[in-house]
Amino acid sequence: MNSVALRRIALRHSYLLALLLLLIAVGINFYLQPNLFELRVLNSNLRNFLPLIILTVGQTIVIIGGGIDLSVGAIVSMANAILVTLILPESGPTEILIGILAAVGAGLAAGVFNGLCVAYLRLQPIVTTYATSFVYAGIALLILPRPGGNLPREFLRSYRGAPLDIPLALYFIVLAILIWLVLRSTRYGQYLFATGGKADAAYATGVPVNFVRFSTYVWAGLAAALSALALTMNLGTGNPRIGDAMTLDSIVAVVLGGTRLSGGQGGVIGSVLGVLILGVIRNIISFANVPTWSQTLVDALIIIAALAGPGLVRFLRRRTA
Amino acid sequence: MNTVSLSARNVTKRYGGVVALSDGNLDVQSGEVVALLGANGSGKSTLSKVITGVIAPNEGRLHLDGRAVTFSSPQAAKSVGITAVYQELSLIPDMTVAENIWLAHEPRRWGIAVDHREMRARTQDLIALFAGTVQSSLHPDALVNSLPPDERQVVEILKALSLQPRLMILDEATASLDSRQVARLFELIAEWKRQGMAIVFVSHRMDEIFRVADRATVLRNGASVGDRVISETTEQELVELMIEGMVAPDSVQGGQLAPDAPVRLQVRNLHTDLLKGISFDLHDGELLGLGGLQGQGQSDLLLALFGAIPCGGQVLLSGQPAHFSHPQQAMQRGLAFVPGDRATEGVLLIRSILENLQLPSWRKYGFPLNMVRARADAGQVAQELSLVMESLDAPVSSLSGGNAQKVVLGKWLLRNPRVLLLNDPTKGVDVRTKVEFYALLNRLRAAGTAILFYSSDDEELLSLCNRVLVLHDGRIRAELAGETLNHANLVSASMGTTNASNGYE
Repeated sequence: MNSVALRRIALRHSYLLALLLLLIAVGINFYLQPNLFELRVLNSNLRNFLPLIILTVGQTIVIIGGGIDLSVGAIVSMANAILVTLILPESGPTEILIGILAAVGAGLAAGVFNGLCVAYLRLQPIVTTYATSFVYAGIALLILPRPGGNLPREFLRSYRGAPLDIPLALYFIVLAILIWLVLRSTRYGQYLFATGGKADAAYATGVPVNFVRFSTYVWAGLAAALSALALTMNLGTGNPRIGDAMTLDSIVAVVLGGTRLSGGQGGVIGSVLGVLILGVIRNIISFANVPTWSQTLVDALIIIAALAGPGLVRFLRRRTA
Repeated sequence: MNTVSLSARNVTKRYGGVVALSDGNLDVQSGEVVALLGANGSGKSTLSKVITGVIAPNEGRLHLDGRAVTFSSPQAAKSVGITAVYQELSLIPDMTVAENIWLAHEPRRWGIAVDHREMRARTQDLIALFAGTVQSSLHPDALVNSLPPDERQVVEILKALSLQPRLMILDEATASLDSRQVARLFELIAEWKRQGMAIVFVSHRMDEIFRVADRATVLRNGASVGDRVISETTEQELVELMIEGMVAPDSVQGGQLAPDAPVRLQVRNLHTDLLKGISFDLHDGELLGLGGLQGQGQSDLLLALFGAIPCGGQVLLSGQPAHFSHPQQAMQRGLAFVPGDRATEGVLLIRSILENLQLPSWRKYGFPLNMVRARADAGQVAQELSLVMESLDAPVSSLSGGNAQKVVLGKWLLRNPRVLLLNDPTKGVDVRTKVEFYALLNRLRAAGTAILFYSSDDEELLSLCNRVLVLHDGRIRAELAGETLNHANLVSASMGTTNASNGYE
């Protein structure tokens, strides 16, 4: 097999490296925690990973389209605050549905606002979404000044199920990947990669570059709201700062999954693997008795290693050339 | 395919005070190839971009099939069957050949899903048109960034073809193709002609125009000056049309080279990816011109000498080997380089004039920086350049194009360079600043600086330089000096025709 073919496979299936990393991490985790593959443990792990997986799907789309969204964590906080405020312990199905629709609506609105700023006002995505993250975080604090809130027991229990002895979260992971594959196979999918790959060439070819950019942030807003729903059902309570750490996590997972931060390449499958790697590494940290206070440090070291990887390879190649 | 006819009448395009096109006229119809010819800056590209909707003209009319039309965007032109193949590639590097060719008009199944199998099959059919002239690595699933330049150009041509255009403009589309691919393209053009396509062929290569075109429309100084049937004309006649009545103004003619001036720079068999062996001497106090059409290796030559791109061959500076692997080494040996793209390579637009002027020289001013002296030195250079500015602290972006260009030159003057490499420094500069710029070059030359000067403006080369090397296809096509340094020789050598009287070939 020649290097061109290898390169094409690496680009098309950018998650292969992530898969390898995941297998290693799972191996270590299994060594430290022999009951890892029992349904109960597996279910609880995936349940914990699902919110970040959903969030990362949105982040991946934004990054492939050539942008980045630093406000997704704040949107999760906002949607979480809305959910626990509108849904009370005694709420029936109608109130629960209203609560969910309100949270999803808020997520979409936040995404639309980000998209308008970045795509049509041509504001720089990093600064813009960092700034808007404070707006959404502020709204979360306004709705829910301090942690608290309870949800109906039945509602929460439904999230813990394992239909057909398969963890519920796995259904949603597969669903997310299916949605991605469908999206990828449409003309919109081509536009997304073209916009992130070389926006001016895409524009000259007739791709609606502005609309594509705009839409990626709407996807991210929707994903953040759904992520908040999963998170809220998992924890059963609200916290106006609950999503703070999730923004960086989502970016780390995208990078680990092999999607290039400059856009135009990558995919959701890798990002899902990226989240699993992050989660498994955190399991390892807790089982290896590493204080949780080191978690941030480990995260940071991982993202730096992941970012440095390709650059380091280039640097070494230039040295030897 | 139904018939098509397009005529452009009195098309004008101005950029600020600069007139790129003053009276562009072009007629083309089904079944013919019209060559669009002209010297550098004659308005060829502007006219073709107006036709494809990339540029909106200030005045003039376009008639398509007899009806007046205006195109607000490239898409508008595409929708009526007009498309172009440009030299600057419009491909997405990380997407496959098939995805690039069908981008924005992908074949689809059930109205939504991109039909990859169909797309691949149709791409295969398109690639088959160039079968035998491309490598097997060019297949529908190949990534564009894994392809060599010639095959990318082929993909670009196929992309335009996939739209099934009625009128296709080929703007320098053959520049990166090899001879077999060019031959194949010409066979295809003949076939498209029979099918009723109208083709506008923009090329720098005279021999290609005679091989493929039926008619030639000649532009000079932004105006159409003649229409010739190819079978009834000669290369000579076309070249004369291109340059007729253009007399070099000799008002700024510089002094003659002192006969005993020492050789400062000796270049022997220099080659890079683009250059195929360049040899010349540059003397102290000489203003040596580099001419020829754009992209024939002039920029590469300057960059290679400055150590910015790798090169092979021998370079001697004052008799010592001078093979630089980094611009910093070149700077230390007294070379200075004024880049062509002012905005991206020449100046830091948002920073002050002072900072820009001193950028290569801060080292001189110690620690902490002696700002009083730095400011005085910069002020002196600004005065020498007669820089029109608010103050030294104003950002460079507040200056006019010409004055900004003076800053680019000025920052090197502070280092007293022995060899000055200029890459088309007066592009987009107004006439008055140009004259000041010429005077400055003459002063530097008189002070003994050796200057290598690439310009896309032929007049400039003719009036300023002692000697001009005309580059064509990575080689020195002609060395013009004294008697032979005239416009006719310069243009014909640029075009690669052989009727120029010169010492080469």
